[in-house]
Formats: sequence, structure tokens, C-alpha cells
Amino acid sequence: MTRLIIANVSKSFGPTRAVDDVSLDVQPGEIVGLVGENGAGKTTLMRIAAGELAADRGVVEAPSAIGFVHQHFVLVNAFTIAENLALAGAAASEIELPDESRLVADLSIGEKAKLELMKAISRHPSLLILDEPTSVLAPTEAAELFAVMRRLAARGTIIVFISHKIPEVLEVATRVVVMRGGKIVAEGGTAEEIASAMVERRRPDGWPRGVPPRIVAIVGVAGNGQSELAARLRREAKGRVAAIPEDRTRDGIIAEMTIAENLALKTKTSPEKLIAEYNIKAHSPKQKAGSLSGGNQQKLILARELDRHPDTIVASEPTRGLDAESTRFVHDRLRAAAANGAKVFLITSDLDEAFALGDAIQVIYRGRLSEPMTPEEAAARAGQLMAGL
Amino acid sequence: MTRAIVAVVAALALVAGIGALFGHAPGDLLSILLGGSLDETILKTVPLLLTGLTIVVAFRAGVWNIGGEGQFIAGALAAFVAARFGIVAALAASVLAGAAWASIASLLRWWRNAPEVLTTILLNFIAINLLGWCVNGPLQEAGARYPQTEALSVALPARGEVHAGVVIAVAVCVAIWWLLYRTDEGLRLRATGFNPSAARFAGIDVDAQIFRAMAVSGGCAGLAGGIELLGVTHRLFERFAAGYGYSGIAVALLAQLHPLATLVSAFFFGALATGAGELQRSANISATVATLIQAVVILTMILFGRRSRA
Repeated sequence: MTRLIIANVSKSFGPTRAVDDVSLDVQPGEIVGLVGENGAGKTTLMRIAAGELAADRGVVEAPSAIGFVHQHFVLVNAFTIAENLALAGAAASEIELPDESRLVADLSIGEKAKLELMKAISRHPSLLILDEPTSVLAPTEAAELFAVMRRLAARGTIIVFISHKIPEVLEVATRVVVMRGGKIVAEGGTAEEIASAMVERRRPDGWPRGVPPRIVAIVGVAGNGQSELAARLRREAKGRVAAIPEDRTRDGIIAEMTIAENLALKTKTSPEKLIAEYNIKAHSPKQKAGSLSGGNQQKLILARELDRHPDTIVASEPTRGLDAESTRFVHDRLRAAAANGAKVFLITSDLDEAFALGDAIQVIYRGRLSEPMTPEEAAARAGQLMAGL
Repeated sequence: MTRAIVAVVAALALVAGIGALFGHAPGDLLSILLGGSLDETILKTVPLLLTGLTIVVAFRAGVWNIGGEGQFIAGALAAFVAARFGIVAALAASVLAGAAWASIASLLRWWRNAPEVLTTILLNFIAINLLGWCVNGPLQEAGARYPQTEALSVALPARGEVHAGVVIAVAVCVAIWWLLYRTDEGLRLRATGFNPSAARFAGIDVDAQIFRAMAVSGGCAGLAGGIELLGVTHRLFERFAAGYGYSGIAVALLAQLHPLATLVSAFFFGALATGAGELQRSANISATVATLIQAVVILTMILFGRRSRA
């Protein structure tokens, strides 16, 4: 059995130091939970460990058989399950999907994730890396995944589980490693300690909840009819409607146009003022919107959509892929808009986000909405409802 | 800008190179090609500028209007019919007819989701044959000797060869620039062209936007046809459009879809077309050399184009 040894590894992308002098030694059979905010360097570090990226400095010693399940699926949609497995050279595996003659295009996101896992483990890797595998899974599917991970670890497989969801990591990992700003900043600890190690500042809690509900959080696993619901909410809303689309590069900004032009599509307020007010990091209003980072693109969309005091806001996954700072900013703005009288529909697959913002919570599953619940009720039932139980 | 210069240099170098193969001194060839008469160049620039703007407006809105040729003919036919009510009526009719002809493609898109790139080309054939039928039938000159109409009795005011259409074309050019870059309508039009999906989320009625853009685009081509009739040919005949609608594509691409740059680019192609005629007369080289240069320019612009829109 081989260990995974990472010694003084560094990697930069342009001026950004993604991984900064990181060392890590993992024994066979360990399940390492690698946690951190977006951009903390978790994925980069593991891609170096797997040999997908070359380190600028440092040494990696890893087992030769490595399975890597990426956050984004690497599947051929026009092929069946069996064909995708054959393409990956996968043999029979201990997890199974019913009816392998189905096309990948017809699978649910959870099933696609499972197929990726089957591909990865069928060749009996000694090191298995899972990058945010639960972000698209319902709670019951996640539990199933954890059982598989435990079985593999018991046979000596090294498992690295990248996530930013602390409860899950604590549940399954035998060891928790926290990254922030490219460095390992903590090992182990309670959920509270890990959370504070992940982010430098902690979000204030105890925001007063509105009665009647101003923010309705609609939570569900991706692909359960959210986009159709969002379209319908936008269509049927009265008065001025603000739309914060799920896919911000496809539906949000016009990348080829400047910040000022993107803003002018909906508001007459001066771009300089909005850039300052929404804390958009740009050197000039004439900068192309496409050259902004994801967080700043989202702030640009918020500025454009919220400036005219909309009556209704339909926000789909408004913080997906954003770092803690931008996430907090988006949340604060949505709360402020609600406080100013806007009705906010927050459509999200992130339960934490639903709890952080929602005055009322509804679950969407296979195109159906549950009754509105108070956050207290939802805490007990949302997980089951999201899994269709 | 760099791309445009590379394209022009590549095209001219190719012509000079091929000329040299057949024993023409490249220097002489290019000086004839680029040294045609200024008046004639200006006359050729006017329709090229307007059909170039046709393409600029449509492509900026993300619509592949390849129908400049048909819209040009529609404009000229309408101008001919309306000329009896005076020059202003004739020009207005040409704009409206060009816009209407382009709107047929928009309607087909709206009803049947038919792509403009196909429908506009097909509408070109219809317009060309409609013109052919007109000049052989109802609009044919008295005596029916040639397939052409009578000469009109009204014409654009002119000084020497150069007619007032020049002023109109330049004014339209500036107006299109103003529309695209200084008005909300233009902002929405460009947003629609860059990213229709995001434009829709930003509250733009994308279908209506494209409809209006196509109408403005076709209006420019129609006006080009009207001005050509009222300022230069004074009568209609079968090969009236002479490829101006298609040449507009090269003009617009060389200008990188910028309205003011289209002025420069149209002048360049106007000079080329004039020079190519001269070349045919003095060096016995076919005037299709101008078309060859257009093609090389388009290919070069595409070759060095940005990949983001692929």
C-alpha cells in the first residue's frame, strides 16, 4: 500500500498563488475531508496530486492508480451508461445503476454523479479524489455515497473528499484538513472551529425574519424544474421584475459589452455610482463585463437588477461559485431589497443559503412545490422532501 | 484595425502576385487599380456604404441578413414606381420597400422559425426575377427593344457626375452610428446581437428588437437601390443590382461592423471597383479582380477573427 505524500508544493496561475507551500501526508485507508471556500486551492492541490497539473515547486508521491471524480461531469451525453463505462475502460463495479442501456442525456444529475463515481472506482484506484461530489446529490444519495467511501477506505484506499459542507465532512472523514488562500490553515476541530478557519470573518446571524414572508426560499436538487419555475415567476410577477439568472455568463451579463453598457440596459443611474455602491472591482466603467471575475459579474447583475427598486426579485442560485465575501454581499443585498418591500423568490440548491435567507421555505421536487414551511419546520423536513421522501 | 490592414495588404499582394505571374509589373497594376477617377469612386462608394451599413446593423443585432441584393432591388423598384410623385417620395418609397422586403424574412422567422441566412438569400432570387419580369413586361420601355425601363424624368440634384446621394449616404452613416452607440435602442440592439439570452433576461423583447433591426437594415439597402436609380442609372434593367448587396458584406466585415469605419471601407472598395474597370480597359485584366479582392478580404477577416463567436 502506498501513501500520498505532498511535500512543499506551490502552484501559481499568473499573479495568483493558488497553492502555497503545502505539505500533506496521507496513510492508506484514511478519508481526508479537504475543506475551504471557493478558490482556497483545494481542487488545484488535488489536480497536482493526481498528476493533472504540474507543480511549480515541491514533490508529490502518489499511488499510480488514481480515480478522480471532477466537479463537472466528463460524460458523453449521446452514449448509454454502458457505453460511457466501456469508454472509460471500466469493469463491473460494486455500485450499480438500473438499466445501463439508458442514454446519459436522460439521467438525473444524481445518476450522472453516480456514473462518474462508477467510472472512477471500477479500476480499483489506491487514491480516490472526489471534488464536491455531494453538491448535486440529495441527502439520501449522499448517504449512499458515504457508505461506498467507507467500504473502499476499509480496504486501504486513500480517499480525498473535497467539500465546503462541514457537517458532511465531519460525518464521513477520518481527518479534516482546512485550506484558505492556498495554504493549509488547520487540521481537525469542531464544526465551529473549522468554519472559522475557512473564512476570516464570520457572518452575523440572527437577522430578523419578516412576517409575512418577504423572502421565499425554494430549495431543491438541481434539475427538478427550477428554471421552469423561475421563468413562470418572472412572467407572472406584477410590477417591475428583477431577474438574477442561474447561469450568469450565459443569461446574466453581456460579456462583450462594457460595465456601463450592461448597467444602462436597465438603469439610468451613473455607472461610477453603482460600481462604488455595489463594490464592483473594476478599473473603469468602460471595462468589458466579460473580463470581471465571477463575483464581480454577479455584483454587476445585482446592480443592474436591483437599482430600480424592483417589486419582485427572482434570484436563481445567486451565490453559486462565489467566494465567502461575494456571497455575503449578495445575501445582504437581497435582504436589504426585501426590507425595502420587494418580494424575493430565492431559488437555490443550497440548503444553508435557504436557511440563511428564507422567511419561508418551500421544497421543489420533480416540478412540484411543497407547502411553505417556517425555517424551523423546514430544518426537520426539507432534506427528506428534497430526496422525494 | 490590424486585422483590416492585414486583410487589405493580403488581398492587394495576392493581386499583384498573380499579375506578376502573367507578366504585369505589380507596381503598375496597383497604381491603376487604386488610381481610378475620384468622381467614379465616389459614385461607387455611395451604394457600397449603404449596403455596408445594411450588414452592420443586421450583424450587430445578430441577424445574418444576406439579402442586401434583394432589398436593394426592392428599393429601386419602389423608387421607380413612386418617382412620379417626386424625388422625396421616391426616396421614401425605396426605404420602405427595402425595409418591407427584409421584414418578410423576419415574418418567416416569427411564423416558422426559418433562419434569415436562408430566407434572405432566397428573397434575393425572387427580387432579381421580379425585376427581370418587370423590365421585360409591365415596366419595359416603349417600343420594347431592350429589357429595360424608360429613363426617369426626375433625378437627384448633381454637380457634374456626383449626385446628392453622397450627402444622404454620409448622413445615414452618421445616423446609424448615432443609433447604435448613442441611443437606448442601439444599446438593446447590440445586446441582442451579442447575447440574445442575456438580453431577454435584461427585459429586452428580443424578437421585436430583431424585427426592427432587420427593417432598419433593409431600409438602408432599399435606399441604396433608390439612390442608384435616381442618381446614376435613371432606369431599371436586369442586372441593375450588380452585386452591391453582396459587396456590402465585405465592406462591413472590413470595417469590423463599425458604422463610421464603413465609410472608409466603402471608399476603399469603391476605388477598387473603379480601378478594376480601368484595369480591364488598359491592361485587359478582367474586372472580376475586384470581386477576387473582396473575397480575399472576407476570408482574411474571418481567418484572423475572434474565436469567441464561433
